[in-house]
Amino acid sequence: MLQILADGLIIGSIIALGAIGLTLTFSILRFSNFGHGEFLAWGSYLALSALAVFAAIGWADSPRAVAPFSFGWPLLLALLGAAVLTALMALALDALLFKRLRLQGSITLVIASFGAALALRNLLLYFYGGVPRYYSQELQIAWALLPRTVAGGLRITPDQLFVIGLTAVTVVVLHLFLKHSTLGRAMRATADNPQLARLAGIDPERMLRITWLLGGVLAALAGVFAGLTVQLRPTLGLDLLLPLFAAVVLGGIGSVWGAVVGGLVVGLAESAAVAWVGAEWRAAAAFVVLIAMLLVRPTGLFGARA
Amino acid sequence: MTVDLQDRVTVPSHHRATAALQIQGLQAGYEPGLLIVRGASLTVARGEIVAILGPNGAGKSTLVKAVAGLVPISGGRVQLAGSTGLQDITAVPAHELVHRGLAFVPQTENVFAGLTVAENLELAAALMKGVTRHNRAERLDPVYAMFPDLLRQRKLPAGRLSGGQRQMLAVARALLARPQVLMLDEPSAGLSPKLVAQVFDKLADVRASGVTLLLVEQNVKAALALADRAVVLVEGRERLVAPAAGLAQDPRLAQLYLGRHSADTRAEAPTGTPTKGVH
Repeated sequence: MLQILADGLIIGSIIALGAIGLTLTFSILRFSNFGHGEFLAWGSYLALSALAVFAAIGWADSPRAVAPFSFGWPLLLALLGAAVLTALMALALDALLFKRLRLQGSITLVIASFGAALALRNLLLYFYGGVPRYYSQELQIAWALLPRTVAGGLRITPDQLFVIGLTAVTVVVLHLFLKHSTLGRAMRATADNPQLARLAGIDPERMLRITWLLGGVLAALAGVFAGLTVQLRPTLGLDLLLPLFAAVVLGGIGSVWGAVVGGLVVGLAESAAVAWVGAEWRAAAAFVVLIAMLLVRPTGLFGARA
Repeated sequence: MTVDLQDRVTVPSHHRATAALQIQGLQAGYEPGLLIVRGASLTVARGEIVAILGPNGAGKSTLVKAVAGLVPISGGRVQLAGSTGLQDITAVPAHELVHRGLAFVPQTENVFAGLTVAENLELAAALMKGVTRHNRAERLDPVYAMFPDLLRQRKLPAGRLSGGQRQMLAVARALLARPQVLMLDEPSAGLSPKLVAQVFDKLADVRASGVTLLLVEQNVKAALALADRAVVLVEGRERLVAPAAGLAQDPRLAQLYLGRHSADTRAEAPTGTPTKGVH
Protein backbone atom coordinates (compact mmCIF):
# COMPACT_ATOMS: atom_id res chain seq x y z
CA MET A 1 0.00 0.00 0.00
CA LEU A 2 2.70 2.46 1.03
CA GLN A 3 4.78 1.27 -1.88
CA ILE A 4 1.98 2.22 -4.28
CA LEU A 5 1.94 5.69 -2.70
CA ALA A 6 5.70 6.08 -3.03
CA ASP A 7 5.76 4.89 -6.64
CA GLY A 8 2.85 7.18 -7.43
CA LEU A 9 4.67 10.10 -5.86
CA ILE A 10 7.71 9.53 -8.08
CA ILE A 11 5.85 9.33 -11.38
CA GLY A 12 3.54 12.04 -10.04
CA SER A 13 6.52 14.37 -9.50
CA ILE A 14 7.52 14.00 -13.13
CA ILE A 15 3.96 14.57 -14.37
CA ALA A 16 3.53 17.54 -12.03
CA LEU A 17 6.63 19.36 -13.30
CA GLY A 18 5.56 18.82 -16.90
CA ALA A 19 1.98 19.82 -16.12
CA ILE A 20 3.07 23.12 -14.50
CA GLY A 21 4.81 24.12 -17.72
CA LEU A 22 1.78 23.07 -19.75
CA THR A 23 -0.66 25.00 -17.56
CA LEU A 24 1.58 28.10 -17.61
CA THR A 25 1.82 28.11 -21.39
CA PHE A 26 -1.91 27.58 -21.58
CA SER A 27 -2.76 30.46 -19.27
CA ILE A 28 -0.38 32.98 -20.87
CA LEU A 29 -0.40 31.85 -24.52
CA ARG A 30 -4.01 30.65 -24.48
CA PHE A 31 -3.59 27.41 -26.35
CA SER A 32 -2.97 23.75 -25.48
CA ASN A 33 0.55 22.93 -26.54
CA PHE A 34 0.55 19.28 -27.61
CA GLY A 35 4.26 19.62 -28.22
CA HIS A 36 4.98 20.07 -24.52
CA GLY A 37 5.63 16.36 -23.95
CA GLU A 38 8.42 16.51 -26.52
CA PHE A 39 10.16 19.18 -24.44
CA LEU A 40 10.38 16.58 -21.67
CA ALA A 41 11.78 13.98 -24.05
CA TRP A 42 14.29 16.40 -25.54
CA GLY A 43 15.31 17.55 -22.07
CA SER A 44 16.13 13.99 -21.06
CA TYR A 45 18.19 13.34 -24.21
CA LEU A 46 19.97 16.70 -24.11
CA ALA A 47 21.20 15.75 -20.63
CA LEU A 48 22.43 12.45 -22.08
CA SER A 49 24.36 14.33 -24.75
CA ALA A 50 25.81 16.68 -22.16
CA LEU A 51 27.01 13.63 -20.20
CA ALA A 52 28.62 12.26 -23.38
CA VAL A 53 30.37 15.57 -23.94
CA PHE A 54 31.63 15.58 -20.36
CA ALA A 55 32.87 12.00 -20.76
CA ALA A 56 34.64 12.92 -24.01
CA ILE A 57 36.62 15.61 -22.23
CA GLY A 58 37.59 13.14 -19.54
CA TRP A 59 35.00 13.98 -16.91
CA ALA A 60 32.94 10.84 -16.80
CA ASP A 61 30.01 10.46 -14.51
CA SER A 62 30.83 8.13 -11.68
CA PRO A 63 28.24 6.49 -9.48
CA ARG A 64 28.09 7.53 -5.85
CA ALA A 65 30.35 10.54 -6.48
CA VAL A 66 27.51 12.39 -4.87
CA ALA A 67 26.67 9.75 -2.34
CA PRO A 68 24.41 7.82 -2.31
CA PHE A 69 23.01 8.54 -5.77
CA SER A 70 23.63 6.55 -8.97
CA PHE A 71 25.07 9.71 -10.53
CA GLY A 72 27.69 12.31 -9.81
CA TRP A 73 28.28 16.00 -10.44
CA PRO A 74 28.37 15.58 -14.23
CA LEU A 75 24.70 14.58 -14.30
CA LEU A 76 23.72 17.55 -12.16
CA LEU A 77 25.57 19.85 -14.52
CA ALA A 78 24.05 18.02 -17.50
CA LEU A 79 20.64 18.63 -15.93
CA LEU A 80 21.40 22.33 -15.79
CA GLY A 81 22.62 22.35 -19.38
CA ALA A 82 19.55 20.43 -20.56
CA ALA A 83 17.31 22.91 -18.77
CA VAL A 84 18.95 25.86 -20.51
CA LEU A 85 18.91 24.17 -23.94
CA THR A 86 15.31 22.98 -23.65
CA ALA A 87 14.23 26.49 -22.62
CA LEU A 88 16.00 27.90 -25.68
CA MET A 89 14.41 25.22 -27.84
CA ALA A 90 10.96 26.23 -26.61
CA LEU A 91 11.78 29.86 -27.35
CA ALA A 92 13.07 28.97 -30.83
CA LEU A 93 9.96 26.91 -31.58
CA ASP A 94 7.83 29.91 -30.63
CA ALA A 95 9.82 32.26 -32.84
CA LEU A 96 9.79 29.86 -35.81
CA LEU A 97 6.24 28.58 -35.54
CA PHE A 98 3.80 29.85 -32.94
CA LYS A 99 4.66 33.52 -33.18
CA ARG A 100 3.76 33.57 -36.88
CA LEU A 101 0.40 31.93 -36.21
CA ARG A 102 -0.58 33.84 -33.08
CA LEU A 103 -3.13 36.05 -34.83
CA GLN A 104 -4.79 33.03 -36.46
CA GLY A 105 -6.45 31.90 -33.24
CA SER A 106 -5.89 29.10 -30.78
CA ILE A 107 -7.18 26.22 -32.94
CA THR A 108 -4.46 26.93 -35.50
CA LEU A 109 -1.89 26.99 -32.71
CA VAL A 110 -3.11 23.67 -31.29
CA ILE A 111 -2.88 21.99 -34.68
CA ALA A 112 0.55 23.54 -35.23
CA SER A 113 1.66 22.14 -31.88
CA PHE A 114 0.65 18.63 -33.06
CA GLY A 115 2.89 19.13 -36.04
CA ALA A 116 5.70 20.43 -33.88
CA ALA A 117 5.37 17.39 -31.60
CA LEU A 118 5.60 15.02 -34.56
CA ALA A 119 8.67 16.79 -35.94
CA LEU A 120 10.43 16.97 -32.57
CA ARG A 121 9.74 13.30 -31.79
CA ASN A 122 11.07 12.10 -35.11
CA LEU A 123 14.13 14.31 -34.86
CA LEU A 124 14.82 12.66 -31.53
CA LEU A 125 14.45 9.24 -33.13
CA TYR A 126 16.75 10.29 -35.97
CA PHE A 127 19.52 11.59 -33.72
CA TYR A 128 19.40 9.10 -30.87
CA GLY A 129 17.75 5.97 -32.27
CA GLY A 130 14.85 4.01 -30.84
CA VAL A 131 16.68 1.88 -28.30
CA PRO A 132 15.99 2.82 -24.68
CA ARG A 133 18.98 4.44 -22.99
CA TYR A 134 20.09 5.03 -19.43
CA TYR A 135 22.17 7.74 -17.79
CA SER A 136 24.02 5.10 -15.81
CA GLN A 137 24.33 1.33 -16.07
CA GLU A 138 24.81 1.24 -12.34
CA LEU A 139 22.34 -0.88 -10.43
CA GLN A 140 21.00 0.92 -7.48
CA ILE A 141 19.94 -0.91 -4.36
CA ALA A 142 16.69 0.37 -2.91
CA TRP A 143 16.62 1.30 0.72
CA ALA A 144 14.10 -0.65 2.71
CA LEU A 145 12.52 2.15 4.68
CA LEU A 146 9.94 -0.18 6.14
CA PRO A 147 10.03 -3.99 6.41
CA ARG A 148 7.49 -6.07 4.51
CA THR A 149 5.56 -6.71 7.68
CA VAL A 150 4.56 -3.03 8.00
CA ALA A 151 1.79 -2.13 5.51
CA GLY A 152 3.45 -4.19 2.81
CA GLY A 153 6.83 -2.50 3.27
CA LEU A 154 8.39 0.47 1.57
CA ARG A 155 11.48 0.38 -0.62
CA ILE A 156 12.82 3.41 -2.39
CA THR A 157 16.07 4.20 -4.18
CA PRO A 158 18.13 7.29 -3.33
CA ASP A 159 17.55 8.56 -6.89
CA GLN A 160 13.82 8.37 -6.38
CA LEU A 161 14.10 10.36 -3.16
CA PHE A 162 16.21 12.90 -5.04
CA VAL A 163 13.46 13.27 -7.67
CA ILE A 164 10.74 13.80 -5.08
CA GLY A 165 12.89 16.22 -3.08
CA LEU A 166 14.01 18.35 -6.02
CA THR A 167 10.44 18.46 -7.33
CA ALA A 168 9.23 19.75 -3.95
CA VAL A 169 11.95 22.42 -3.89
CA THR A 170 11.15 23.48 -7.47
CA VAL A 171 7.44 23.79 -6.75
CA VAL A 172 8.04 25.89 -3.63
CA VAL A 173 10.51 28.17 -5.42
CA LEU A 174 8.08 28.59 -8.31
CA HIS A 175 5.27 29.39 -5.89
CA LEU A 176 7.35 32.08 -4.17
CA PHE A 177 8.33 33.49 -7.57
CA LEU A 178 4.73 33.76 -8.77
CA LYS A 179 3.43 35.06 -5.46
CA HIS A 180 6.05 37.62 -4.49
CA SER A 181 8.28 38.70 -7.36
CA THR A 182 7.21 41.49 -9.69
CA LEU A 183 7.89 39.29 -12.71
CA GLY A 184 5.84 36.43 -11.26
CA ARG A 185 2.97 38.75 -10.42
CA ALA A 186 3.16 40.27 -13.89
CA MET A 187 2.81 36.73 -15.30
CA ARG A 188 -0.25 36.07 -13.14
CA ALA A 189 -1.69 39.44 -14.14
CA THR A 190 -1.17 38.60 -17.83
CA ALA A 191 -2.88 35.24 -17.37
CA ASP A 192 -5.72 36.93 -15.46
CA ASN A 193 -6.42 39.76 -17.92
CA PRO A 194 -4.05 40.22 -20.88
CA GLN A 195 -5.55 43.54 -22.00
CA LEU A 196 -5.36 45.13 -18.58
CA ALA A 197 -1.81 43.81 -18.22
CA ARG A 198 -0.83 45.76 -21.32
CA LEU A 199 -2.48 48.89 -19.93
CA ALA A 200 -0.54 48.40 -16.70
CA GLY A 201 2.69 48.54 -18.69
CA ILE A 202 3.48 44.84 -19.06
CA ASP A 203 5.04 43.89 -22.39
CA PRO A 204 3.04 40.83 -23.53
CA GLU A 205 5.84 39.47 -25.75
CA ARG A 206 8.23 39.52 -22.79
CA MET A 207 5.73 37.51 -20.72
CA LEU A 208 5.45 34.97 -23.55
CA ARG A 209 9.21 34.56 -23.71
CA ILE A 210 9.50 34.09 -19.96
CA THR A 211 6.68 31.55 -20.01
CA TRP A 212 8.40 29.49 -22.71
CA LEU A 213 11.70 29.64 -20.83
CA LEU A 214 10.07 28.56 -17.58
CA GLY A 215 8.06 25.81 -19.27
CA GLY A 216 11.21 24.54 -20.99
CA VAL A 217 13.24 24.45 -17.77
CA LEU A 218 10.51 22.56 -15.91
CA ALA A 219 10.06 20.16 -18.84
CA ALA A 220 13.79 19.39 -18.92
CA LEU A 221 13.77 18.71 -15.17
CA ALA A 222 10.82 16.34 -15.59
CA GLY A 223 12.46 14.67 -18.58
CA VAL A 224 15.74 14.05 -16.74
CA PHE A 225 13.81 12.74 -13.75
CA ALA A 226 11.98 10.32 -16.04
CA GLY A 227 15.31 9.23 -17.54
CA LEU A 228 16.75 8.78 -14.08
CA THR A 229 13.90 6.75 -12.57
CA VAL A 230 12.63 4.89 -15.66
CA GLN A 231 14.62 5.10 -18.88
CA LEU A 232 15.22 7.36 -21.86
CA ARG A 233 13.13 6.61 -24.92
CA PRO A 234 12.06 8.77 -27.86
CA THR A 235 8.38 8.15 -27.19
CA LEU A 236 8.63 9.57 -23.67
CA GLY A 237 6.86 12.76 -24.74
CA LEU A 238 4.03 10.91 -26.42
CA ASP A 239 3.63 8.54 -23.48
CA LEU A 240 3.49 11.41 -21.00
CA LEU A 241 1.22 13.67 -23.02
CA LEU A 242 -2.05 12.23 -21.79
CA PRO A 243 -1.00 12.14 -18.11
CA LEU A 244 0.17 15.77 -18.46
CA PHE A 245 -3.15 16.94 -19.86
CA ALA A 246 -5.07 14.83 -17.34
CA ALA A 247 -3.11 16.53 -14.54
CA VAL A 248 -3.76 20.00 -15.93
CA VAL A 249 -7.50 19.41 -16.36
CA LEU A 250 -7.74 17.68 -13.00
CA GLY A 251 -6.16 20.59 -11.17
CA GLY A 252 -8.00 23.25 -13.14
CA ILE A 253 -6.56 24.73 -16.31
CA GLY A 254 -4.22 27.61 -15.51
CA SER A 255 -3.68 26.73 -11.87
CA VAL A 256 -0.09 25.95 -10.87
CA TRP A 257 -1.04 24.25 -7.61
CA GLY A 258 -3.75 22.43 -9.52
CA ALA A 259 -1.12 21.06 -11.89
CA VAL A 260 0.98 19.88 -8.93
CA VAL A 261 -1.91 18.16 -7.17
CA GLY A 262 -3.25 16.88 -10.50
CA GLY A 263 0.16 15.44 -11.37
CA LEU A 264 0.44 13.64 -8.06
CA VAL A 265 -3.11 12.24 -8.32
CA VAL A 266 -2.53 10.96 -11.86
CA GLY A 267 0.77 9.45 -10.71
CA LEU A 268 -0.95 7.70 -7.82
CA ALA A 269 -3.72 6.47 -10.11
CA GLU A 270 -1.13 5.03 -12.48
CA SER A 271 0.78 3.20 -9.75
CA ALA A 272 -2.46 1.92 -8.25
CA ALA A 273 -3.53 0.66 -11.69
CA VAL A 274 -0.22 -1.16 -12.10
CA ALA A 275 -0.53 -2.80 -8.70
CA TRP A 276 -4.20 -3.68 -8.71
CA VAL A 277 -5.27 -4.07 -12.32
CA GLY A 278 -2.12 -4.78 -14.29
CA ALA A 279 0.77 -2.85 -15.82
CA GLU A 280 -0.89 -2.76 -19.25
CA TRP A 281 -3.63 -0.59 -17.74
CA ARG A 282 -1.22 2.13 -16.59
CA ALA A 283 -2.08 4.52 -19.44
CA ALA A 284 -5.81 3.97 -18.93
CA ALA A 285 -5.55 5.31 -15.38
CA ALA A 286 -4.97 8.85 -16.62
CA PHE A 287 -8.00 8.53 -18.89
CA VAL A 288 -10.20 7.33 -16.06
CA VAL A 289 -9.08 10.16 -13.78
CA LEU A 290 -9.61 12.69 -16.57
CA ILE A 291 -13.11 11.47 -17.43
CA ALA A 292 -14.13 11.24 -13.77
CA MET A 293 -13.04 14.81 -13.15
CA LEU A 294 -14.78 16.15 -16.22
CA LEU A 295 -17.99 14.48 -15.07
CA VAL A 296 -17.82 15.63 -11.46
CA ARG A 297 -16.25 19.06 -11.72
CA PRO A 298 -15.35 20.22 -15.22
CA THR A 299 -13.46 23.28 -13.97
CA GLY A 300 -10.97 21.11 -12.08
CA LEU A 301 -9.97 21.12 -8.43
CA PHE A 302 -8.55 24.66 -8.37
CA GLY A 303 -10.15 26.05 -11.50
CA ALA A 304 -12.28 29.17 -11.40
CA ARG A 305 -15.98 28.39 -11.62
CA ALA A 306 -17.30 29.70 -14.88
CA MET B 1 -20.30 70.17 -40.39
CA THR B 2 -22.76 72.29 -38.57
CA VAL B 3 -22.48 72.22 -34.83
CA ASP B 4 -18.81 71.36 -34.96
CA LEU B 5 -17.61 74.17 -32.79
CA GLN B 6 -13.97 73.26 -32.53
CA ASP B 7 -11.58 74.23 -35.24
CA ARG B 8 -10.52 70.90 -36.66
CA VAL B 9 -7.29 71.83 -38.35
CA THR B 10 -5.65 74.78 -36.68
CA VAL B 11 -5.36 74.78 -32.95
CA PRO B 12 -4.71 78.16 -31.34
CA SER B 13 -1.19 78.54 -30.06
CA HIS B 14 -2.18 79.27 -26.46
CA HIS B 15 -4.11 76.02 -26.58
CA ARG B 16 -1.19 74.04 -27.87
CA ALA B 17 1.04 75.30 -25.09
CA THR B 18 -1.22 73.99 -22.35
CA ALA B 19 -2.56 70.86 -24.02
CA ALA B 20 -1.99 67.64 -22.12
CA LEU B 21 -3.57 65.43 -24.78
CA GLN B 22 -4.41 66.30 -28.33
CA ILE B 23 -6.35 64.10 -30.73
CA GLN B 24 -6.53 65.19 -34.37
CA GLY B 25 -8.67 63.65 -37.10
CA LEU B 26 -8.52 60.24 -35.44
CA GLN B 27 -9.84 57.30 -37.43
CA ALA B 28 -10.08 53.93 -35.75
CA GLY B 29 -12.01 50.67 -35.86
CA TYR B 30 -11.67 47.03 -34.87
CA GLU B 31 -11.61 45.79 -38.45
CA PRO B 32 -9.95 47.31 -41.49
CA GLY B 33 -12.40 49.32 -43.56
CA LEU B 34 -14.96 49.45 -40.78
CA LEU B 35 -14.33 52.77 -39.07
CA ILE B 36 -16.08 53.54 -35.82
CA VAL B 37 -14.13 56.68 -34.99
CA ARG B 38 -14.27 58.81 -38.15
CA GLY B 39 -11.98 61.76 -37.86
CA ALA B 40 -12.55 62.84 -34.29
CA SER B 41 -10.53 65.72 -32.84
CA LEU B 42 -10.32 67.04 -29.32
CA THR B 43 -7.86 68.66 -26.98
CA VAL B 44 -7.62 68.27 -23.25
CA ALA B 45 -5.79 71.06 -21.47
CA ARG B 46 -3.53 70.43 -18.50
CA GLY B 47 -5.52 69.99 -15.30
CA GLU B 48 -8.81 69.89 -17.14
CA ILE B 49 -11.63 67.35 -16.92
CA VAL B 50 -13.22 66.66 -20.29
CA ALA B 51 -16.23 64.39 -20.66
CA ILE B 52 -16.96 62.61 -23.92
CA LEU B 53 -20.73 62.25 -24.30
CA GLY B 54 -22.90 60.98 -27.08
CA PRO B 55 -25.57 58.46 -28.00
CA ASN B 56 -24.99 54.71 -28.00
CA GLY B 57 -22.74 53.60 -30.82
CA ALA B 58 -21.22 57.05 -31.29
CA GLY B 59 -17.74 55.58 -30.88
CA LYS B 60 -16.98 57.08 -27.47
CA SER B 61 -15.39 53.97 -25.99
CA THR B 62 -13.65 53.10 -29.23
CA LEU B 63 -12.12 56.58 -29.26
CA VAL B 64 -10.48 56.25 -25.85
CA LYS B 65 -9.52 52.63 -26.50
CA ALA B 66 -7.81 53.70 -29.71
CA VAL B 67 -5.93 56.42 -27.85
CA ALA B 68 -4.94 53.79 -25.25
CA GLY B 69 -3.54 51.58 -28.00
CA LEU B 70 -6.18 48.85 -27.78
CA VAL B 71 -7.97 49.54 -31.08
CA PRO B 72 -6.04 49.91 -34.36
CA ILE B 73 -5.71 53.50 -35.56
CA SER B 74 -5.95 54.01 -39.31
CA GLY B 75 -5.68 57.78 -39.55
CA GLY B 76 -5.03 60.98 -37.66
CA ARG B 77 -2.75 61.43 -34.73
CA VAL B 78 -2.59 61.50 -30.96
CA GLN B 79 -0.15 63.68 -29.07
CA LEU B 80 0.67 63.66 -25.40
CA ALA B 81 2.52 66.37 -23.52
CA GLY B 82 6.03 65.22 -22.68
CA SER B 83 9.15 66.81 -21.28
CA THR B 84 9.80 68.54 -24.63
CA GLY B 85 6.31 69.62 -25.60
CA LEU B 86 3.74 67.51 -27.39
CA GLN B 87 4.96 64.10 -28.53
CA ASP B 88 3.31 61.91 -31.11
CA ILE B 89 2.07 58.73 -29.42
CA THR B 90 -0.14 57.46 -32.25
CA ALA B 91 2.03 54.43 -32.88
CA VAL B 92 3.22 53.81 -29.32
CA PRO B 93 2.15 50.31 -28.20
CA ALA B 94 -0.36 50.05 -25.35
CA HIS B 95 2.13 48.69 -22.82
CA GLU B 96 4.42 51.71 -23.21
CA LEU B 97 1.79 54.43 -22.90
CA VAL B 98 1.56 54.17 -19.14
CA HIS B 99 5.30 54.78 -18.95
CA ARG B 100 4.78 57.92 -21.06
CA GLY B 101 2.18 59.27 -18.62
CA LEU B 102 -1.12 58.13 -20.14
CA ALA B 103 -3.21 55.73 -18.07
CA PHE B 104 -6.53 54.14 -19.00
CA VAL B 105 -9.22 52.54 -16.84
CA PRO B 106 -11.46 50.31 -18.99
CA GLN B 107 -15.17 50.03 -18.27
CA THR B 108 -15.18 46.36 -17.30
CA GLU B 109 -12.55 43.88 -16.16
CA ASN B 110 -10.44 46.78 -14.95
CA VAL B 111 -8.80 44.99 -12.02
CA PHE B 112 -6.81 41.75 -11.89
CA ALA B 113 -9.58 39.64 -10.35
CA GLY B 114 -7.32 36.73 -9.38
CA LEU B 115 -4.81 38.91 -7.55
CA THR B 116 -5.44 40.41 -4.13
CA VAL B 117 -6.12 44.13 -3.73
CA ALA B 118 -2.59 44.60 -2.36
CA GLU B 119 -1.07 42.59 -5.23
CA ASN B 120 -2.99 44.70 -7.76
CA LEU B 121 -1.63 47.91 -6.27
CA GLU B 122 1.89 46.69 -5.51
CA LEU B 123 2.26 45.34 -9.04
CA ALA B 124 1.05 48.62 -10.56
CA ALA B 125 3.70 50.47 -8.54
CA ALA B 126 6.46 47.91 -9.11
CA LEU B 127 6.04 48.03 -12.89
CA MET B 128 7.01 51.69 -12.97
CA LYS B 129 10.61 52.59 -13.64
CA GLY B 130 12.72 53.41 -10.62
CA VAL B 131 10.35 51.75 -8.17
CA THR B 132 11.95 49.13 -5.95
CA ARG B 133 10.77 47.04 -3.05
CA HIS B 134 12.30 49.63 -0.73
CA ASN B 135 10.77 52.80 -2.13
CA ARG B 136 7.43 51.52 -3.38
CA ALA B 137 5.73 52.60 -0.13
CA GLU B 138 6.30 56.20 -1.24
CA ARG B 139 3.94 55.53 -4.10
CA LEU B 140 1.53 53.23 -2.31
CA ASP B 141 0.97 55.23 0.88
CA PRO B 142 -0.64 58.32 -0.72
CA VAL B 143 -2.94 56.09 -2.77
CA TYR B 144 -3.94 54.04 0.28
CA ALA B 145 -4.55 57.35 2.08
CA MET B 146 -6.86 58.42 -0.72
CA PHE B 147 -8.68 55.06 -0.76
CA PRO B 148 -8.72 53.88 2.88
CA ASP B 149 -11.25 51.11 2.09
CA LEU B 150 -8.69 49.42 -0.10
CA LEU B 151 -6.20 49.30 2.76
CA ARG B 152 -8.78 47.45 4.86
CA GLN B 153 -9.51 44.99 2.07
CA ARG B 154 -5.97 44.58 0.81
CA LYS B 155 -5.85 40.84 1.39
CA LEU B 156 -9.09 40.17 -0.48
CA PRO B 157 -8.99 38.90 -4.08
CA ALA B 158 -9.96 41.86 -6.26
CA GLY B 159 -12.63 39.71 -7.92
CA ARG B 160 -14.56 39.62 -4.66
CA LEU B 161 -14.84 43.40 -4.27
CA SER B 162 -18.20 45.13 -4.75
CA GLY B 163 -18.77 47.13 -7.94
CA GLY B 164 -18.02 50.48 -6.34
CA GLN B 165 -14.89 49.27 -4.63
CA ARG B 166 -13.69 47.54 -7.74
CA GLN B 167 -14.01 50.86 -9.57
CA MET B 168 -12.05 52.58 -6.77
CA LEU B 169 -9.33 49.92 -7.06
CA ALA B 170 -9.21 50.41 -10.82
CA VAL B 171 -8.69 54.15 -10.39
CA ALA B 172 -6.17 53.63 -7.58
CA ARG B 173 -4.26 51.12 -9.70
CA ALA B 174 -4.07 53.57 -12.58
CA LEU B 175 -2.96 56.42 -10.30
CA LEU B 176 0.03 54.42 -9.07
CA ALA B 177 1.61 55.01 -12.46
CA ARG B 178 1.44 58.72 -11.58
CA PRO B 179 -0.08 59.51 -14.97
CA GLN B 180 -0.30 62.98 -16.34
CA VAL B 181 -3.51 62.10 -18.20
CA LEU B 182 -6.01 59.55 -16.91
CA MET B 183 -8.70 58.25 -19.28
CA LEU B 184 -11.73 56.45 -17.91
CA ASP B 185 -14.35 54.53 -19.86
CA GLU B 186 -17.71 54.94 -18.12
CA PRO B 187 -16.60 54.95 -14.50
CA SER B 188 -20.27 55.13 -13.43
CA ALA B 189 -21.37 52.00 -15.31
CA GLY B 190 -23.33 49.58 -13.17
CA LEU B 191 -23.11 51.69 -10.02
CA SER B 192 -25.95 53.00 -7.85
CA PRO B 193 -26.41 56.81 -7.78
CA LYS B 194 -24.81 56.95 -4.33
CA LEU B 195 -21.74 55.05 -5.52
CA VAL B 196 -21.54 57.17 -8.65
CA ALA B 197 -21.34 60.23 -6.40
CA GLN B 198 -18.56 58.59 -4.37
CA VAL B 199 -16.54 57.62 -7.43
CA PHE B 200 -16.97 61.07 -8.99
CA ASP B 201 -15.95 62.75 -5.72
CA LYS B 202 -12.73 60.74 -5.89
CA LEU B 203 -12.23 61.80 -9.48
CA ALA B 204 -12.48 65.44 -8.36
CA ASP B 205 -9.77 64.66 -5.78
CA VAL B 206 -7.68 63.05 -8.52
CA ARG B 207 -7.89 66.22 -10.60
CA ALA B 208 -7.02 68.29 -7.54
CA SER B 209 -3.85 66.22 -7.25
CA GLY B 210 -2.81 67.49 -10.69
CA VAL B 211 -4.00 64.77 -13.02
CA THR B 212 -5.77 65.67 -16.27
CA LEU B 213 -8.92 63.62 -16.86
CA LEU B 214 -10.70 62.47 -20.00
CA LEU B 215 -13.78 60.39 -19.36
CA VAL B 216 -16.41 58.70 -21.47
CA GLU B 217 -19.82 58.79 -19.83
CA GLN B 218 -23.41 57.71 -20.42
CA ASN B 219 -24.45 59.39 -17.18
CA VAL B 220 -24.72 62.90 -18.65
CA LYS B 221 -25.81 64.60 -15.46
CA ALA B 222 -22.98 63.25 -13.32
CA ALA B 223 -20.44 63.86 -16.07
CA LEU B 224 -21.45 67.48 -16.62
CA ALA B 225 -21.37 68.14 -12.89
CA LEU B 226 -17.77 66.97 -12.74
CA ALA B 227 -16.32 68.06 -16.09
CA ASP B 228 -15.07 71.46 -17.22
CA ARG B 229 -15.93 70.79 -20.82
CA ALA B 230 -17.90 68.25 -22.77
CA VAL B 231 -17.37 66.83 -26.22
CA VAL B 232 -20.45 65.30 -27.83
CA LEU B 233 -19.54 62.55 -30.24
CA VAL B 234 -21.95 61.40 -32.94
CA GLU B 235 -21.13 58.79 -35.55
CA GLY B 236 -17.46 58.88 -34.72
CA ARG B 237 -16.92 62.65 -34.90
CA GLU B 238 -17.22 65.44 -32.39
CA ARG B 239 -20.34 67.48 -33.09
CA LEU B 240 -20.36 69.81 -30.12
CA VAL B 241 -17.61 71.05 -27.83
CA ALA B 242 -18.84 73.28 -25.05
CA PRO B 243 -18.30 74.21 -21.41
CA ALA B 244 -20.00 71.68 -19.16
CA ALA B 245 -21.78 74.33 -17.11
CA GLY B 246 -25.21 74.94 -18.55
CA LEU B 247 -24.84 72.35 -21.28
CA ALA B 248 -27.45 70.12 -19.70
CA GLN B 249 -30.06 72.76 -20.55
CA ASP B 250 -28.69 73.32 -24.05
CA PRO B 251 -31.26 72.11 -26.62
CA ARG B 252 -28.46 71.12 -28.99
CA LEU B 253 -27.37 68.38 -26.61
CA ALA B 254 -30.77 66.71 -26.69
CA GLN B 255 -30.91 67.05 -30.45
CA LEU B 256 -27.57 65.34 -30.87
CA TYR B 257 -28.66 62.53 -28.57
CA LEU B 258 -31.91 62.13 -30.48
CA GLY B 259 -30.05 61.90 -33.76
CA ARG B 260 -31.51 64.96 -35.50
CA HIS B 261 -28.07 66.38 -35.95
CA SER B 262 -27.75 67.44 -39.55
CA ALA B 263 -30.64 69.32 -41.11
CA ASP B 264 -32.43 70.23 -37.92
CA THR B 265 -29.51 71.72 -36.07
CA ARG B 266 -28.53 73.78 -39.06
CA ALA B 267 -31.62 75.91 -38.55
CA GLU B 268 -30.92 76.50 -34.89
CA ALA B 269 -27.18 76.80 -34.89
CA PRO B 270 -26.14 78.17 -38.23
CA THR B 271 -22.57 77.74 -39.31
CA GLY B 272 -20.36 80.76 -38.87
CA THR B 273 -21.43 81.46 -35.31
CA PRO B 274 -19.38 78.96 -33.41
CA THR B 275 -19.17 79.30 -29.66
CA LYS B 276 -15.67 78.33 -28.68
CA GLY B 277 -15.26 76.13 -25.70
CA VAL B 278 -13.84 77.86 -22.66
CA HIS B 279 -10.48 76.59 -21.51
